[in-house]
Amino acid sequence: MRRILIMIPMMFFISVICFIVTELQPGDFLSQYLENPRISPQQIETLRRELALDKPAHQRYLIWIKNIVTKGDFGYSFSYQRPVVELIWERLGWTVAISILTIGFQWLFATLMGIYSALHPYRAGDYTLSILGFVGLSIPEFFLALVLMYLTLKLGGTTVGGLFSPQFIGSPMSWAKFIDLLKHLWLPIVVIGLSGLAGLMRIMRGNMLDVLGSPFVTALRARGLDEKTIRRHVIKNALNPLVSIAGMELPNVFSGTIIASIVLNLPTIGPFFYNALLNHDQYLVMTFLMFIAIITQIGNLLADIALALLDPRINIS
Amino acid sequence: MKRFLLSLLLLSISIALSAEFLVEDELLTPEPSPKWGGTLRLVLPSTPESFLMYGTLDSSTYSITMGPMFSPLVEMHPVTNEIKPALAKSWTVSSDGKEVTFHLREAYWSDGKPITSDDVIFTFKYFVMNQFARGNSIDRFTIPDEKGVNKMIEWIKIDDKTVKALLPSPYGAFYTVLSHVYIYPKHKLEPLIDKNDLGSVNKIWLSNTDPKEIVVNGPFKPVQLITDQKLILERNPNFWKVDKYGYRLPYFDKIEYLIIRDEQVRLAKFMAGEIDFMAISSRDYPMLKEQELAGKTPYVVYATQPNQPTPSPIHISFNFDVDDPELKELFRKLEFREAMEYALNRQRIIEEVFAGLAIPDAGLMLPSNKAFYNPKIEQLLRPYDLKKANELLDKIGLTRRDREGYRLFTTGKRVEFNLLVQSSPKEYQDVALIFAEDLRKIGIKVNLQILDASLVGQMFGAGNFQAGIRAFGNQPDPQLRKAIWQPGTQLYYWHYSTMDKTKTPPQPVFENMFDWEKRIWELFEKGQVEMDPVKRKAYYDEWQELYHIYLPVIFVCKGMNIWGFNKNLGNAGLTKEGMLRFTVWTSYRK
Repeated sequence: MRRILIMIPMMFFISVICFIVTELQPGDFLSQYLENPRISPQQIETLRRELALDKPAHQRYLIWIKNIVTKGDFGYSFSYQRPVVELIWERLGWTVAISILTIGFQWLFATLMGIYSALHPYRAGDYTLSILGFVGLSIPEFFLALVLMYLTLKLGGTTVGGLFSPQFIGSPMSWAKFIDLLKHLWLPIVVIGLSGLAGLMRIMRGNMLDVLGSPFVTALRARGLDEKTIRRHVIKNALNPLVSIAGMELPNVFSGTIIASIVLNLPTIGPFFYNALLNHDQYLVMTFLMFIAIITQIGNLLADIALALLDPRINIS
Repeated sequence: MKRFLLSLLLLSISIALSAEFLVEDELLTPEPSPKWGGTLRLVLPSTPESFLMYGTLDSSTYSITMGPMFSPLVEMHPVTNEIKPALAKSWTVSSDGKEVTFHLREAYWSDGKPITSDDVIFTFKYFVMNQFARGNSIDRFTIPDEKGVNKMIEWIKIDDKTVKALLPSPYGAFYTVLSHVYIYPKHKLEPLIDKNDLGSVNKIWLSNTDPKEIVVNGPFKPVQLITDQKLILERNPNFWKVDKYGYRLPYFDKIEYLIIRDEQVRLAKFMAGEIDFMAISSRDYPMLKEQELAGKTPYVVYATQPNQPTPSPIHISFNFDVDDPELKELFRKLEFREAMEYALNRQRIIEEVFAGLAIPDAGLMLPSNKAFYNPKIEQLLRPYDLKKANELLDKIGLTRRDREGYRLFTTGKRVEFNLLVQSSPKEYQDVALIFAEDLRKIGIKVNLQILDASLVGQMFGAGNFQAGIRAFGNQPDPQLRKAIWQPGTQLYYWHYSTMDKTKTPPQPVFENMFDWEKRIWELFEKGQVEMDPVKRKAYYDEWQELYHIYLPVIFVCKGMNIWGFNKNLGNAGLTKEGMLRFTVWTSYRK
């Protein structure tokens, strides 16, 4: 309960910082139209009044916050002229789906690889996996996406970019459409997932080695427990810290993939947010940032709860 | 029931018989045996923000509404730019040139309702002349009367099929501006508007509208929008154009716009044959052409004579009102600006920056624009000649040099200025680098000031720069670019003291204008109210010459338009004159 209450001032604080940062960006939504001879200076003035951009920043911020608190209204997008929540909602489905699949992919492979590495430390398998992980970590996502797309095309694949082949976009769901989706989906999952893989894997490996060397394992061995049971205890213990960083992973996947999504032409929120940022579509940007912030906080909260379930010694007060 | 069906059948036949069709011309439909059906696959860079072009400033909306979905009263021919009938089948002009009566075609909306003068008047009242509509065109339809007072053009209904426009004075560019006014359906939109809040027009037919609600008078109507993925349009069964055999256009059943934000992905899809037609950047042209010539590609690419407003021709400007008094005096000297043009290596820029795909002799007007281009400016362009540039600089007294070889003002200060350039598109920077390199050779130091585009726009807009590189698009009629090239306007940014910003609307300040600027101002005013095309051309010919003689700005070059077509697209390609031939209603799948 206390944790949840703390989130409120926290969100407020974050919103102020985000607002200041978006204000610091030179120009505003209307500066892109200054050079357009079709739009007269008078019209820009009219628009400025309509969008309340003529008011000082702190006033706009207060109006925005007031509408959120009193009406749950996060404001309008300057360019789409629709409520920002609606616009974000429209694009959230695929974002969440891809994020969850990506995280699933990361975790599955990271833990498996971590466990394998830790059980065979400083041997060829360990080194190979580490190198693979670090390569994924160090290559920029967009570049990896381009390379993989190029390789797929070279090897005769045609299913590149987007989530569906053009003929399936908008058609009702069918078996053929699902297969088509699977053909497209692996690429973004691998591209986005690979970057976080190394980090998670190293954490898992380190934890495993720590736990393997800890006295309670020695004690278990001394009592003659079989190696399989010991391993189960070790893995359970080693998973602990991994769960606590799980909360961080969701917003990372959400926000860290903007460029990859642009390159892969995914209908996620990332490219949309990027465009809003370039256009100074302030309320859209703000709402998205707040959304990421709240996801992070909820993620952390959930991680804590999961941790408590995994390890009864930790208690949430 | 039977009787009902019969009457419905009779009704539809009578509609078909009473409709008055326009026969699309040979230039757009040269091929002998077109085929019907299939899907035309195009591309958009982003999800359209709206289906109402007057409620938004979004370019994707313009791409889908202006032409594919809606039609104007009069049309500009896509190849020749000539004005021709569209929803208005004919019109008559009164002898004083101030009343134009339009006779509307017997044509129907996609839902079967007739298109009437009410739709025209509605479109003007609530959108075109509504100052709260984001994409209004009030300025284009407001002109001075005989006493010089700005007045709006008025529209009155004569009967269901006749509307009359009352002009305050004759208006030369009237049909050109009218060809950009697309007519919207009153019967669908009027109920959605809050009459007490005219800003409400911006909130109708947004991207979340059910496509079934949208009624069109162009060749295609929307059926489905999948956010950030695809927009699907379907043939409008009531489109009012036919081909030369009398068959109703368009040929395609559907258009599918793929929504692809990233330029490289668009290109990849085009190369894979998934996109039938799109604009190609000059950077990609050599690679695409090479592959095309090697055979086996599903596409062909053409570089055409520029006939589009974009890419904008790049120009170099020197701020006549710059703070630094010495620079101000220098920039105002014609010899200096002439020297700058002599030092501009256009040929090298075209070859290195534009891969040879640009023309040097376009700026104010395009050579392909036969109605207004003045070929005399080709002789007026000063060719790259550093010796001449040096001589001119010596002549205006900048003879002393410092140890590094830079010229000095009489006060002993080095002749140097900042050149303001936006960081994208990259071509601007490349032009700036080449220019600065050549100026170094004639003893002038240039400091490049490369900044983010929106910041640069603000600095230009505030007159806060010394010299700059910028670009503005062309238009078929100079009247449409009056807001840029006439002294005393907001976009005449290199000489802001010609404008009094304290008045609304801003007023020209004649005492701060050079004589040639006064003449340019006058030429625009005369060209605006002249209805005789020959006299108008004479005014604008003089305007073009003045710009090249006195160099308020120095034009660098204009990129050619490059287009890629799928090979199996019919009625698409180049005309004999090297112009683009493609419309969504005349192309077909071979």
